[in-house]
Amino acid sequence: MQQSFVYFSILLCIFEIFKFKMPGTILENLSGRKLSVLVTVLLLSQLACFLVGLISPSPAGIQTILATVCVDPEPEVRDKWFSRNCPKKVDLRYDNALEGISPNNLVFVVEMPNFQQDFSRWQQNLAGVLQIELVYRSGQKLLNPMIELTLDARLAYSNKVKNGGKTPWTHYTNAITERYMDCIFNDTAIENKEGYPYDCSMVPLFELGSLYHDYYLLNLRLPYDSQKELNTHLLKVEEIFLHMIHMNGGFTKVWISLKSIFFPIIVTIMIWFWNRVHLLSRTPALLEYMLIVLGGTLAFLDLPIEYLTLHFDMPYMLLLSDIRQGIFYATLLSFWLVFTGEHMLIQETGERNSLRKYWKHLSSIAVGCVSLLIFDLCERGMHLVNPFSSIWVTPLGTNLALTFVICAGLCAGIYFLFLCYMIWRVFKNISIKRSVLPSMTQARRLHYEGTMYRFTFLMGATVVCAGITIVSFILNQYTQGEHNLDDSMDIELTSIIHTGVYGMWNVYICALLMLYAPSHKQWPSEPTCSEGEEVEFSRLSSEPSTTPNEISSLTSFVAKANIE
Amino acid sequence: MRFTDKFRKKLNVMLQFFVLSAFSINESAAARRPIVNGTWIRMGMIIDEMMQSDQGPPSCKALPGLSPGQTKLCQLYIDHMNAVALGAKQSLNECTHQFQNRRWNCSILDDVNVFGPVITIASRETAFAHALAAAGVSHSISRACRDGQLASCGCSRTDRPKDLKKAWVWGGCGDNLQYGYKFTQNFIDVREKERKFKRGSRDQGRALMNLHNNEAGRRAVIRKTKVTCKCHGVSGSCSLITCWQQLANFREIGDYLRDKYDGATEVRVNKRGRLQLKDPHITIPTADDMVYLEDSPDYCVRNDVTGSLGTQGRPCNRTSADIDGCNILCCGRGYNTLKTVIKERCQCKFKWCCEVQCKTCVKSLDTHTCK
Repeated sequence: MQQSFVYFSILLCIFEIFKFKMPGTILENLSGRKLSVLVTVLLLSQLACFLVGLISPSPAGIQTILATVCVDPEPEVRDKWFSRNCPKKVDLRYDNALEGISPNNLVFVVEMPNFQQDFSRWQQNLAGVLQIELVYRSGQKLLNPMIELTLDARLAYSNKVKNGGKTPWTHYTNAITERYMDCIFNDTAIENKEGYPYDCSMVPLFELGSLYHDYYLLNLRLPYDSQKELNTHLLKVEEIFLHMIHMNGGFTKVWISLKSIFFPIIVTIMIWFWNRVHLLSRTPALLEYMLIVLGGTLAFLDLPIEYLTLHFDMPYMLLLSDIRQGIFYATLLSFWLVFTGEHMLIQETGERNSLRKYWKHLSSIAVGCVSLLIFDLCERGMHLVNPFSSIWVTPLGTNLALTFVICAGLCAGIYFLFLCYMIWRVFKNISIKRSVLPSMTQARRLHYEGTMYRFTFLMGATVVCAGITIVSFILNQYTQGEHNLDDSMDIELTSIIHTGVYGMWNVYICALLMLYAPSHKQWPSEPTCSEGEEVEFSRLSSEPSTTPNEISSLTSFVAKANIE
Repeated sequence: MRFTDKFRKKLNVMLQFFVLSAFSINESAAARRPIVNGTWIRMGMIIDEMMQSDQGPPSCKALPGLSPGQTKLCQLYIDHMNAVALGAKQSLNECTHQFQNRRWNCSILDDVNVFGPVITIASRETAFAHALAAAGVSHSISRACRDGQLASCGCSRTDRPKDLKKAWVWGGCGDNLQYGYKFTQNFIDVREKERKFKRGSRDQGRALMNLHNNEAGRRAVIRKTKVTCKCHGVSGSCSLITCWQQLANFREIGDYLRDKYDGATEVRVNKRGRLQLKDPHITIPTADDMVYLEDSPDYCVRNDVTGSLGTQGRPCNRTSADIDGCNILCCGRGYNTLKTVIKERCQCKFKWCCEVQCKTCVKSLDTHTCK
C-alpha cells in the first residue's frame, strides 16, 4: 500500500512537471506552488522511510555461545566432527578434571545457532568473534600483554531434513590461522590474585558472506608446540565464548522491500529524464550525463539482488554490496564536484565541458576508491577463499591495510578541501552577481533572485542530507551498547537511522533527476505563466552569447554577465 | 551517554521505591511464616551429589529449602535447577573467598540455613549473603543460556504468537543477561512475596530487606558487564556497529558486592510498611546498594544462640593494620605464634592447557592464631 501510494504520488508529480514548458531546467521554471507540492511529496516519502524503520528490528543481532570443551582421544585422526553432545567433556574451570589431558586433545565445540534454533537465509551473513577468558593462577608470572594465538579452526554445516532431523555435518572450510590478543591484568594491587581474570581483547575469527545452511559447527583447537612456539604464551584458559553477529531477518525483509519500491521508481524517473534530454535539439550536457550515471548507480544499488540469496549460495554478497555502495558514493561525490564546477559561473564560452576538465578533482576520488577497493578485496575478497583469513593478522598485512585506509582517508580529505573551495567560490560569485541585480529590470531581477534562491536551496539540501547522515551515524555509535533493565525502550533507533538515511539519498537523487531535467522548449509558452517572467526568459534564451550546452539559465546569465 | 546515566539513576530510584513499597499492600492479618525448611542456597552444597546421580534432572521435592512458590517454579523450569544450584555453589565459594580474613568468615555449616543461625539476623552479613546468592544465580543462569543448556532462553521465551515468524527472525530476542535477571527475580523473590505480614512488623521489614538486597545482587551482575562492539559496515567501517554485553568473571562481581557490603545502609521499617533510613542525614541507598535492619552480632566470641563461631583459633596477619590483622581479628585478645615449616609449590610453570610444573619450596613461617 505504502508502495503504491508513493509511486502514485511521484507519478503525479512527474505529470505536473511535464505540463511545464520553459527552457532551462525544471527547477528554475517550476512555480512555487508546484515546487512546494513536490517537496511535500518528497518529504512524505522520506518520513515513510523513517516510519518503516520503526517496525523493523535492529539491523544486526548477536548470539553468544559458550564453547563446549570436548576431549579428542586421537587428535591425529582429523576426519571427524565433535558436536555439543560429544562423549567426553571437561570443564576447564576445575583443575582436577584435566589430568592426563594434553592441549592437543581439547576441542572447543560451538554449534550455531543456540537454543534449537536454525538460521534463516534472510539473515544474510555471519561473523564470529572469540572471547577467551584467561585467569590468573597463583604462582604464575603475569603474562605479556600481547599474546600470539594459533588457532586450528574447522567449520562444518548441516541442514534440516523434512521429517525433523538434521543432515550429518559436512566439511565447509578449515584453516590454521594466527591472531593476536591483548591481555591486561587490572587487579595487580591485590595480594591474592588467584582466580582474577585478565582483561583480554576480542579475537575476530571468521566472516561468512552467505548464510546458506541451517546449522554451522565450529571445531576449534589451540594446538601447543614448544618447538614451533605455538600457543606457548597461553596459560590458564577457563572458558571460550563465541559471539556470532548476524543480520536480523526482519531488517533484511524491510530493507529489501525498500529497495524493491525504490528500484522501479528510480528507473522510471531515469527513463523520463533521458527522454526529456533527447527531446531537445542539443546534445546532452555534462551535468545531464552525470545525473543519468548517478541515477544508474543508484538503480544498481537499489536492485534487490538479495532475493537471489534465498535460493542460491552467494558468499560474494558482502563484497558485492560493498562494491555497489562504493560505486554509488564515488559517483555521488563526483557529481557534487561537477555540479559545483558547472555552476562556477566563470565559463569560457563556446567550449564544450567534459569530464576531462575535472580530472584533477576527480582523481582524488578515483585514488581513494581504488585503494578502498583493494583493501576490501584483500579483506572481504579473501574471505571468499578462506573465511578465517584476516589482513590485519600479519605485520605486513596490517601495514598494507593501514596504507590503503590512510590513502583513502587522505583522498577524502583532499576531496572535501576541493569541494569546499569550489562551493565557496560559487557562493562568492553569486554574491557578486547579486550586487548587480538592483540595476536590472524588476521582472528580470525577481526571476534571477528566485533561481538563485532555488539553487542555494538545493545546495542547502545537500548539506543537510550529508549532515544528517554523519550526525545520525555518530549518534548511532553512542546509542549502541546501552543496556537498560526494562523493556520499555522497544524502539530500534539503529534501524530507523539506516532506513531513514537510505531513503534520504534515494529521495535526494530522485529530486535531483526531476528538478534538473530540462524543460521543454518546443512547446509554446502558455499564458498561465506570469507575463514578465516569460518575456524576460525568452529574450534571454535567444541571446547570441548563450551556448547550446548550457542547461540552466542561471549559468547562462552569469556567463553573460562575465562577458560583459 | 551522560543522559542515559541520569536516566538510569532515575530508574534506580523509581525501582527502589517500587521494591520498597511493593509489599506495603500485603497488610492483612499477620500470617505466620510457613515453615520453609532452611534456605534454597543449600542447593549449592548438594550440587556435587546432584551431578553424580546421572538420572536426569532432580525432582523438585528432593531439592532442599524450596518454598512452595519456588517448588512451583522448579516444576515449570526443572532444567534451570542445575544452573541455580551451580549459582548457589559459586556464591558460597565467593563468600568464603571474600570474607576469609574477616571476623565473620562466611563459615559454611552443614545445617539447613547453610550459614547457621547468623543468617536469621537481619544484619549486614545477611544482606551480603542474599545479594551474593542472587548474583550467583543470575550469573549462572545467564551463563547456562550461553551454554545452550536451557530451552527457554533467548527467543523462545517471547510470548508472541508463533506466526510472528520466529520473533522477526531473531531480531526480537532478548539477551541472556536480561533472562538471567528476570528468572532470578521470579525464583528468589517469590519467597518473600508468598507470605503476608502485618504492616510494619519485623518480618515484613525482613522481607523488604531481602528483596532489596536480592535486587542489588542481580544488578551487580549487570553493572559489572563490559560492553564490546564490532564494526561490520561497508569495508568493515563503523557505519554498522553491533555491541554486546560480556558477562563478568564472578570474582569481579564478588569484589563489587563486597564494596557494597562495606557501604551498606542501615534502615528500619516504618508503620506504613516501608523501609526508611535510620539516620536521615545519609544518602538514600539506590537499588544497587545493600540495606540492613539490625546490628551484626558479636562475631568475636562463640555464641550458639546468635550462631557466631568466634574468632578463636583463626589465623591472622601480625603485620597488617587492616581487618585481617591480629589486632582487629582477635578482638584484642592477643594471638599465639607458632613456628612452622611448610612445604609449598613454588616457581610454577604453567603450560597450556593442563600442565603445571612446580618446584617444592620449604619455607619456615611464623603463623599466628587468635587466642
